[in-house]
Order: sequence, then structure tokens, then C-alpha cells
Amino acid sequence: MVVDRDLVRHLSESSVSVELQTEEMTLNIGPQHPSTHGVLRLVARVDGERAFDVQPVIGYMHRGYEKLSEVRTYPQITTLINRIDWVAGYANEIPFVVAAEKLLGLEVPERAQYIRLILTEMARISSHLIFMASYPLELGAATPLFFALRERERVLDLLEGVTGGRFHPNFNRIGGVKPAYGSGSSTRKVIQDLPAGFLAETREAMDRVLEAVEELELLVADNEIILARTKGIGVLPVDVAASYGVSGPNLRASGVPFDLRKVEDYLPYHLFDFEIPTGENGDCWDRWYVRLLEIRQSVRIIQQAIDGIPSGPLQAKVPKIIKVPKGETYVRAENPKGEMGYYLVSNGNQGPYRLKIRSASFSNISILPWILEGVLVPDIIAIMGSLDFVLGDVDR
Amino acid sequence: MAKGLWVTIYTMVRTIFRPGKYLATINYPLVKETPVPRARGVIALDQEACTVCMLCARNCPDWCIYIEGHKEEKPPDKPGGRVKVRNTLDRFDIDYALCMYCGICVEVCPFDALFWSPEYEYSEVKMGAMLHDMDRLQDWLETVPPDPELEK
Repeated sequence: MVVDRDLVRHLSESSVSVELQTEEMTLNIGPQHPSTHGVLRLVARVDGERAFDVQPVIGYMHRGYEKLSEVRTYPQITTLINRIDWVAGYANEIPFVVAAEKLLGLEVPERAQYIRLILTEMARISSHLIFMASYPLELGAATPLFFALRERERVLDLLEGVTGGRFHPNFNRIGGVKPAYGSGSSTRKVIQDLPAGFLAETREAMDRVLEAVEELELLVADNEIILARTKGIGVLPVDVAASYGVSGPNLRASGVPFDLRKVEDYLPYHLFDFEIPTGENGDCWDRWYVRLLEIRQSVRIIQQAIDGIPSGPLQAKVPKIIKVPKGETYVRAENPKGEMGYYLVSNGNQGPYRLKIRSASFSNISILPWILEGVLVPDIIAIMGSLDFVLGDVDR
Repeated sequence: MAKGLWVTIYTMVRTIFRPGKYLATINYPLVKETPVPRARGVIALDQEACTVCMLCARNCPDWCIYIEGHKEEKPPDKPGGRVKVRNTLDRFDIDYALCMYCGICVEVCPFDALFWSPEYEYSEVKMGAMLHDMDRLQDWLETVPPDPELEK
């Protein structure tokens, strides 16, 4: 068949010359939309396929953890803050216990720090893998989900073997990781060190994760449809990202090599050799790809940490009833979603006077009204998914 | 495309005929998963060891442990000896509908009366039935596994 090139060009370049009188419409996306990772409501004012004003409505998941923390003791609070970002529960605990240790002036044993670091990076891998899985699913590709979740299950099983919980490990204690319990009347003392074979299994699992990441890259990075839907969509310039307080992989995708693991010293990251992957354009595709590269760096950190893990105690000397001396401090850490910080004010009691939680997702979704202005309705899902937020982390 | 289709068919056929070897998932009600020994499934109570000190109930973040006890006087072993007083449990309930599975009660117990068991099959139709009384908690004690071996 001979195609009339001129005609084709003519049709594609033609536009409707008559101004259509379209009415603007308010479209509610959520609160229980499958792409919102929880209960987020977006009130979008759309004109046809184009949304010109999108306002997120948050608060459906608000559980009042900041207020609850004021009437709990320090060991009890780790239970609550597990549930802030449930996709990476382990990583949430770290800044809080480090903040309390800072006020107490405690020196955490080296082995405990290494265990914290290994498990934090495993939490990061599992969190990023779920993003690797769910983001293509939101764009309509179901296969990457199974590739990523299979490996995530392996990582979570290892986390469960050490901590006893898949999602809510509650493994960190002030002054170290979980101490021994027992040794009362039954003389049964259970030491909560790493179970035998953990290091070998982790090394094996990390190799499998690398393979899966390779497969995922082949599967998604060569896919025409995914590239068309993500390249150049939802571009986030550096200055806007900085002014909204966007952090973590979303900021790095815009090209800023800012990683709190290099800046702060809450865990001994300076001992390990790793890079900070950055994107170029700050579009949806870069945000996906930066997280993929970050999994590789996390695997690198874990492999080095396994080789160098020292032996020794797991717990510093801590009194049974922990009273944190008067003072205030702010400790921030690089969570899988971005910067997570705890502003801890203590007046010398068993519980904090005030605990302000700065969670990454809250700042990351504050960009939504800016970034969703004037985009197409299908792109709302693509952009929102690429920001990788968890509603528990938004609302606390 | 033919290659992709071949992989699909090959994987499907081999999973159908050799599920034991190639199946990635567990057919739950028929096949049971073995949880890790440290899994926090359910809390077991050793009634003999408990001295009604209430430490677990006070340290619970959402106060889901209900304890009542009384003092029992034991007659002295020899005439003229002291009367022994022993705390005895009347009630030890854990409301698993409220429990956050943090394990603080197991950790603070100074007399080793509480243990974690990885059992997980105790769902109920009614919420009230999630309140396990002391006899039911005692039954869980049989399922407590030996401690896992440690790395180095």
C-alpha cells in the first residue's frame, strides 16, 4: 500500500480550529485509588484530559504518633515509629534511637552498629524493590512486579530471621540492638545475635538481588511504552525541589548528589565505599532509574559490611529504666524515601517532652500541586507513582 | 516473541507437573509454612514462673495485658517457721486484637514467664475471642521452639 506522506503529515498537523466550549470538572482521585499507596485523595480540576489544578488531601491515615510519643517511654516509642513508613520499618528506628543515644552520651558497640547498617540497607533494598515492582504496574506492566517481589521476599525472610518481624522489626534498643532476654528463674538466656548462617545467606541473597535488578533493567529500560510514558514527564528542576524540601532519590534524580549517608555520621557509612547515583533530567524515568542504581550501591555496602563485621557485644551499658537527660537534639538519616529526622526534646523523664517527626514522604508530596499543574490525567498517576511515597509516612 | 512464549509455556508446564520443585508459592491451607524460630507469632505464658509483678502489663505500649492476682499463704514447713506468702495468678489475659507484637513484655519479664512462639493460626470470627486467657496462653508454651544457633 502506498502511503500518501503529504496527507499523513497534513492530518497530524491539523488542529481543531473551532474553540470547543468545554466545562471544567472536578475529579476526585482516591481516597482509595490503587495507585495512591494508601488513602490519599487528589482533588483535580480538569478540563477535558488536562488537569490544571490538583490539590492533595491528606490526613486519612493520621495516627497521632507525635502526641502518643509524649505519653510513652523511650523503649515503647520504637514500636510506634516502626509503623510510620511500613515499607521500610527498620530504617525508621535508626534516627530515633541515635537521637536518644546522643542525649544520653552512649557509645554503641561496633558490632551493633554494623548489624544496624546491614539491616538498614536491606530495608532500603526491600523498599526500592517494591517501588521497582509497583511503578511499572501503575503504568500497566505487571511482569516486573513478580520479578521484584520474589527477591524482596528473600530479603524480608532474612530480616525476619534476625528480628522476628517482617514489617515491624522493633529490633533497635537504646544503646545497641535487641539485648538478651531471659536468664531469670529458668536460667534460659536468649541472646539476640545474628542467627547462624545469616551472613552466608545474605551474601547469596545479594547476588540474587543483583541478578533480579539486571533482569528488571532489561525488562523495563528497553520497554518502548514505559519510556514514552516516563521520559520527559514530570520534570522536577533542582531549585523547585530544594524550595519544597524534596529529599532522597527524588532530589538525586534531579541531579543533586546529596545523600545524608555521606553527610551525617549516624551509622559508620564512612568506612564503606559507595557512590551516590544521580539523574540528569529529574523526570519520572530518572526517578525510577536512580532507585535501581541505589539498590546496586546498597548491595555493595552490605557486601563490604558482611566481610568486615567485627565480633563483640551488642549492647552498651544501659540502666533498666532509661531516663534521658534534659536537652534537645535533631538527628536525621537517609531513609529509602528521603530525609527522616527526629527532633527530640527531653526534660529528664522516662519519655520525651516533645518528638517532632520530619518524614520524607510528607515533603515529597508537597510538590504535587506544583508538579501536576497542567499535566494530562494519565500522567497524574505516572508522576505520583514516581515520587514513591507511603501514606503512613505522610500522615504519621 | 516466540522465545518469550516458549519460556512461558515451559515454566507453566514444569510447574504443573513438578510443583514440589518449581512452585514459588505455598499452597497455604494444605501446605504449611514453617516460620523462623524468632518469628513473633504468639506469646506463651509459664504460669508457674509468673509472680504477678505486673512489669509486663505496665510496660506494654497499649496496655493489652490484664493481670489479677492474690496472695496465698502457705503453712510453714516446720512448726514455728515463717508463713510463706506466694503471689498467685487469678487472671492473665492478653488481648491479641490490641497487641502490637513488639515483644517488650517478653523482654522485661524478670522471671522468664513469657516466651515468643512462632505459631500464627489463631484467627477468630469474633473480635472478643482474640482475648486469650491464662490457660490458653499456657497451651502455647509447648510450641516455643529451641533457640536458634548464633553466628560466631
